Order: sequence, then structure tokens, then C-alpha cells
Amino acid sequence: MDFAQILANGVVLGALYACLAVGFSLVWGVLNVINMLHGSFIILGGYLTYFAWQMFGIHPLIMLPIVAAFLFVVGYALQAIFINKVVTAPVLVTLTLTFGLDMILYNLMTVYFSATPRQVTLGLGSIQLFGVYLPVVRLLGMALALLLTGLLYVTLRGSRIGRAIVAVRMDRSAAALMGIRVNRIYAITFGIGALMAGAAGALFAMVFPITTNLSGVFLGKAFVVCVIGGLGSVPGALVGGLALGIIESFSGVLLGPQHALTVGFLVMLLLLIVRPTGLVGVKGYE
Amino acid sequence: MSNRHLPKPRSQRALATATTGLVALSLAVGSAAAQDTVKIGAPLALTGGLADEGKKQALVYDMWEKKVNDAGGIEIGGKMYPVEIIEYDYQTDGPRAGQLAERLITEDEVNVLMAPFGSGHTKIAATVGQRYRIPTLACVASSESVYSQGNPYLFGTLSPNANMTAAMVEYLKENVDGLSKVAVYGRDDVFPKSMAAATAAAAEAGGLEVVYNELYPVGTMDHAAAISSIVAAEPDWVYATGYTQDLILIRRQLADLGVKAPVITMVTGPAYVEFTEGLGELANGVTSQTWWHHSVAYEGEGAWKTTKAFYDDFLAASGGEDPDYVHGSCAGALVVLEDALKRAGSLDGEAIRQALADTDITTFYGPINFGENGMNQARELPIIQVQDEAIEVLYPASIATAELELLSE
Repeated sequence: MDFAQILANGVVLGALYACLAVGFSLVWGVLNVINMLHGSFIILGGYLTYFAWQMFGIHPLIMLPIVAAFLFVVGYALQAIFINKVVTAPVLVTLTLTFGLDMILYNLMTVYFSATPRQVTLGLGSIQLFGVYLPVVRLLGMALALLLTGLLYVTLRGSRIGRAIVAVRMDRSAAALMGIRVNRIYAITFGIGALMAGAAGALFAMVFPITTNLSGVFLGKAFVVCVIGGLGSVPGALVGGLALGIIESFSGVLLGPQHALTVGFLVMLLLLIVRPTGLVGVKGYE
Repeated sequence: MSNRHLPKPRSQRALATATTGLVALSLAVGSAAAQDTVKIGAPLALTGGLADEGKKQALVYDMWEKKVNDAGGIEIGGKMYPVEIIEYDYQTDGPRAGQLAERLITEDEVNVLMAPFGSGHTKIAATVGQRYRIPTLACVASSESVYSQGNPYLFGTLSPNANMTAAMVEYLKENVDGLSKVAVYGRDDVFPKSMAAATAAAAEAGGLEVVYNELYPVGTMDHAAAISSIVAAEPDWVYATGYTQDLILIRRQLADLGVKAPVITMVTGPAYVEFTEGLGELANGVTSQTWWHHSVAYEGEGAWKTTKAFYDDFLAASGGEDPDYVHGSCAGALVVLEDALKRAGSLDGEAIRQALADTDITTFYGPINFGENGMNQARELPIIQVQDEAIEVLYPASIATAELELLSE
């Protein structure tokens, strides 16, 4: 079995996992809200991309920023209208709220889009590099995933909004005293979380068949990535995503595909015991 | 002081039991006498993950109900009974399917249950039916493990998986020169798992070498690892099972990672139009097996006398979309019920059960004859292939529309 091929499979998949999880991680880290809607946001992004491609022939890469912007608005509005009302309540309350919203969104999508798996087929084929097969669409997905994750990192580090998000993340009261409108930052953060989910959805529509069935799967992956990498930080999601991709790839070959998921979860459990902060520890925001 | 915690005297208890029994009996007689409609209960997945499949069932149930009632109903014991199908959405939630089956029996007093989609959920509904001695007709459950529970009230219109796999192995051995190595990759779920196991067994029995035989868990997002292993094993035939989204992904990754097998079979894959729609050109050449295809031509009893009659009605109801085996099998099951009710001569659960067990008819869907375990015994199930993004029938020869096309040399 070719070591390089397995590693390449893992890295490509891992980058997609990172992109999938980074918005979820941010919302959890900053708002302390476990956003159960995240998986369905990804699916919504994927469906919008697919239908734009299928009905109007719009290329997924052109749709990606549009879908991301649209989901930002959706996320911002949901946070401002619903979640802000209970954002300081114990985590179970916000979890239940987002769970309920998720059920509404999930079933609306199932009713109006149906659960039929849909995929944008660009037919880009794959390239062969030193005997390693690399599907072009996945490479493209990986590059975009890394780019998006990098953009988010730069935004959080460099922009005023980003610094405000980090400030709220580190100390809500102090941030409020410095004149930061905390509720607005919350809504923006939730919007960014949804934006990243939408962008991930647009990417995934090119790589995976999108169906509402997958929303729970995506959410589960986001959880594992956050725990492995560490919560609330961009590098955490990146490290967690890549680690999970590589772990799944190797265990899939060595132990058989039916154990790949199990190994991922075992690593997660192990980390919870020995290093609850994840591989990249939380020291506030970088 | 209350004496409600003390045991009642024996005679009083006996009287109470007898009274309860009498009341129950008179109620039962009362409702049976008052009933002038055949009530059929159907827990359906109309929302949630299996919504597409649930809606397929609902569509043909509706067609059958209209067709039968327009003809005046079913003649049972010399009287015409209209039919009514009572549907509830169980939201693709297994335990809820069981609760709704119970509600259909106890509150809506249905005479027969139509099982929901898939082997897993069928098992749940059928167990409830058995408890109340109400027959359950399963039209989309083919795993023998569902029928091996000794439930005499369960009947299924799909044939055992093994009937399919043996025919497939024989057909490929005849039609593909030098076929020797097969890779089997199945979803770890009731039906796909049993198909994968049956195929591996049939391939070995047929003298082929099984070079890869693994399962993937429900919720697998990526198959690159497994497919890399399959590439290394260089099979002539890749056999994958799963649901549509799994198979679309697997087909794509097989291409991306350079698998060069001349035969790729996916079950159920091409049996659903969504598979071809999702893959486009890449679907071409994929073979599959199915229990029914609308190009078969049978003549028989019931609401639709011929396959053509059903097909034409279906096109009108669906707005031009072709039926698949789910539509065929579920409509077929209702046609069987029609026949069994006539022979039962009453709406008693036990009488209907006996009539179903004695069934031996041909319908537009094909011959139906339930075996010991309640499964349909039909053989010669169609082998199909996607050619030019349309379905062609390869086998049996009597209804074949095309010859096998190989994917690569």
C-alpha cells in the first residue's frame, strides 16, 4: 500500500474538515453557544450552490462568496432575533434553541429541496504526481479551504472587528467597558460562523453529494475536530481537521474502513482525558 | 380507611375479569360489524432522511386507493368495501414508526399495516403488527434477517437478496472474459451489508477470488482510504452497496483514484433515477440489480392488469417520471392485498393472514408466492446497466433491452 497516497488522501480530506469546523469552533469559543444549526447551514450553502449551477449555470466558485454573504445575513439575523435573547443563559438553553431551529431548517430543506443527493459535477478529473492520484476538485477544495481559513485568521488578527471579537472572547465585561457593543459582536461572530458554513457548503457541493441526511454527519465531524484541535481558535480547527483527516485515512487502510470513524472518536476521547484543551491549547486569541 | 390496596376476594376478581372480557368482546364485535371500509395503516417517512423514499410509497398508495375506489371497492364476502389508507409521518425516526404503527392499530383500527421503507424500520412496524395479530405487508424490505424472526404476520414482496447475487455472478462469468477478482465494499447497515455478504459468498461459490471485502460505517464522508486499497488489489469487478449518496461518492472516488475495473456494480444505485442524475456521464457503465423494472411485461390480477397499465397510470400521476422498484413493489403489495382480501372473505386479521400466506398469483409486478418465512420467492430478477444515462435491462434474456458494456479493457 502506497504511504504517500494514504497521506495525500488524509491531508486533502483534513483541509476540508478544517473548513467545515472553523465556523463552529469560533461560535462555540466566542459565544459559548454550541450551534446545532452548523451542519444544516453547510447543507443550505451546498444546495444554493448546486441549484445556482444547475438552473442558471453559475460556477460554484462564483457562487461561493454570494452564498457566504447570504448565510452571513441569515446567521446575523438569527442571532439578533433569537439567540441574543438567551445568549447568557446556561449552555443547555442555547443548545436547545439552536437544536429547535435546526429541526425547522432541516425539515424545510427536506420538504422544498427533497433529500435527493445532489452534486455539482465539474468533471475535472485527477492528476497523477509521483504515482499519487490527486483529484483536481479535491485539490481545489483543499486550496480554497486553506485560503478561507487563512482569511478568517487574518481578519481576527488584523481588523478592528476581529480584535473586538477576540476581546469579547477573552473578557466580555472588560470588552464592554472598552466601548465594544458586545451584542453586536455576538451577532457578527454568529454571522461569520454561518458564513464559513456557507462557504464550506459551496466547496462540499463540488466534492460530496449534498443531502439533508448529511447535516448530522457534518456536525459530528465539527465536534471531533474542535475537541482534537482545541476550541475557539483558527489554528485549532486547522490542526484538528488535518489530524482527523490523516487519522481516518491511515486507520481506514490499516484497520479497515469500518474502524476509521471509531479511531477518530477514540483519539477524541483520549485527548479529552489527557489534554482537554486540544492539541493547540486555548490561550485566548492569537 | 381505604381498602384499595387489599387484594379483592377471588369471586369478585373473577367477576371483574369476566365483565372486562365481555365488554372487550362486545366492543370488538361492535367495531367489526360497524366497519364498512377496509382500513390500511401506513407509517411513512414523509420528512427526515428517508423522505424521498417515503413519498414514493405515498404516491403509489394514493394511486391504488383511487383506482380501487373508482371501481367500487373490493368485494369481500359478497359485499363491496371501499378502501382507506391512513398515513402518518414518522419523520424517519425508527421508534416513532413503532409508536405510530401501534396507534394505527389501536386507535384507527386498521386491518392491515403497510411497512415503512427499509429493512430496519420494517422490522419495527412488523413486530407491533404481530403483537396485535394484524398482518404487515412489507414492500421495501429484502433482508432475510427481517423475516427470520418467526413472525407469521409479515409478508414481503421483494425476494431474498441471495436470489439476486447468485444470478449476477453467473451472468458476469458468462459475459466477461477472464473475470477472476472481485472487490466487495458494503455499507454497514441492514440491507447493504447483507447484499455485500451475499455477493462475496456467491462470488466465492462461483469460483471468483474475493480480493477485498470490507464494510464502511453509516455516516462515512470519504472513501479514499478504502478505494486506495481496492486500487492496489486490482479487481476485475467492483461491487459496492449503499444508499444513493454513498454510491455517488464512491463512484466518483473510484474514478478519481484510478480504479480500472471493467465491471462496477452498485446496489441499489442505478435503480434510482437520482443516482444517474447525481453522477451524469460517470453513471454510464455501472451495473446493478433490482427487483423490478418498468420494462418487464407481466399480466395478472388486481387494480392494474398489466405492467404497461401500471406504467401509464404512474406516468400520469408522477408527471412523467419513471417508476422504480419501490413504486413497483409497493403497488404490487397492494395488488396482492386486494387479491388476499377477496379470498379471505372477511376483515379478520387471522383470515387475511391465512389468505396472504396462500397467495400464488401473477401481478403486473411479477409472480408472487410467499415462502415459509413470508418472502416472495420470485427468481430471474433484472440486471440493469446505465448506458447513455438511461437504464437498460441486461437480464433476464426475455426482457433484455441491451448487452453488457464494459467500462475498460
